[in-house]
Amino acid sequence: MSTVNHHPESSMLVDFSAGNLAIAPSICVSAHLHFCNQCRNELLRLDQVGSKLMSEVELTEVGDHLFDSVITQIDQLPDSSAPAVSSTSDMADGRYPLLVNKLINGSEAAPTWRRMSASVDVAQVTTGQKEYEVALHKICAGGKTPRHNHNGQEFTVVLKGSFSDEHAVYKEGDFLFCEPGDIHQPMGAQNGECICLSALAAPIKLSNPFGFLMNPWLRINPM
Amino acid sequence: MIRKVVYIMLGLKIKLVDESEEPSKTTASLSTEKRSDQWSLLLVSVAENLDRRAFNQLFNHFAPLLKSFAQASRHEGWFPGLSEDLVQEVMIKVWQKAASYNPEKASATTWIYTVARNCRIDMLRRKSNTQHLPLENEDFWHEADEDTPVSLMRQKRSEDKVQSCLARLPKEQDEVLRKVYLEGKSHAEASNELGLPLGTVKSRVRLALQKMQILVAPEFRDEVL
Repeated sequence: MSTVNHHPESSMLVDFSAGNLAIAPSICVSAHLHFCNQCRNELLRLDQVGSKLMSEVELTEVGDHLFDSVITQIDQLPDSSAPAVSSTSDMADGRYPLLVNKLINGSEAAPTWRRMSASVDVAQVTTGQKEYEVALHKICAGGKTPRHNHNGQEFTVVLKGSFSDEHAVYKEGDFLFCEPGDIHQPMGAQNGECICLSALAAPIKLSNPFGFLMNPWLRINPM
Repeated sequence: MIRKVVYIMLGLKIKLVDESEEPSKTTASLSTEKRSDQWSLLLVSVAENLDRRAFNQLFNHFAPLLKSFAQASRHEGWFPGLSEDLVQEVMIKVWQKAASYNPEKASATTWIYTVARNCRIDMLRRKSNTQHLPLENEDFWHEADEDTPVSLMRQKRSEDKVQSCLARLPKEQDEVLRKVYLEGKSHAEASNELGLPLGTVKSRVRLALQKMQILVAPEFRDEVL
């Protein structure tokens, strides 16, 4: 039985099922689905809604040539052999969702950990879009992160370990969505480091008056 | 009509097994279930025998649907001239990916819908100047290996539920669902277009999904699934 407790709200899953969610939030929803049987089941049924709506549209005639054209293209398909995975970064982990490992291994520049604060390391990954900064965050065991406000939406999925804030404890697979105005102070669990995947839409500000001095989240550098 | 009756009988039989037997036996009986609708059988034949006649039948049925689906799109940058391109791309993918179709998990129609949705996103991303993305769209829908398929009977029941509820949805809920799934508008875009607060759009969708029993109150989720 899945132990995931925090899920994306249904409208997010609906947008995902309909194919309307932007790339970066889609990455986070997809990573959550890897861990969450319940949402996978919900998605299956949402896809049924899409398929029923599709099957009820009025039919549009297609040209006679179209089938032949498809067959010609099929005959020309190259033999599909799985492309070898080029590099395997030690940041990848067999327990992570496939797409997260692909992001880590497939980034144009290999992602590297860089110190963000005393207890948090960050590694950006390439996602080919500019609306969100997508990155892995590593919070060390018992590490305290700065209390911060969100100016833009932030999607987070716990990949490994757990962290907590004022509201709840977030474990492997849990999905967290912060909206502008949400303030929280995440803390790594005592029993080990925590690794999260996050997509951040816009800079976030520290609520501590002196926080600006040490707020690395202020910058956003989509790759 | 006759097929429907058979389905109902089949459904009842499986239901009896499902509820009375030990879990291990239930799993065994479920694995012998076969999805027997025409399109799913044809799709399996494409996968197993590279059956071109079956593929032709699938094409004749789905191509007009897919073209309408493509024409319904109101995505920025989409134009009707792309519709037949989408049909071709989807049908080629269907041929290529048929082996990954699992009839225990979804009907052929639902599976082809997901292929069409993914192709539509891919075409839009190729058109926009999205830079290097080390992911293919299919990666977003990659299944976890340990995935346990829902029983065919439950799926069939939920598909029937979805279908019968869709037909009877109040106009305003139907309108929003169509905007989201067919026109490709996000909840936020739909709220702009309809001049309605985002919360209203979300709650209309939620009401529709509750009727279809897709959304289950969290406290009951484990029991139902």
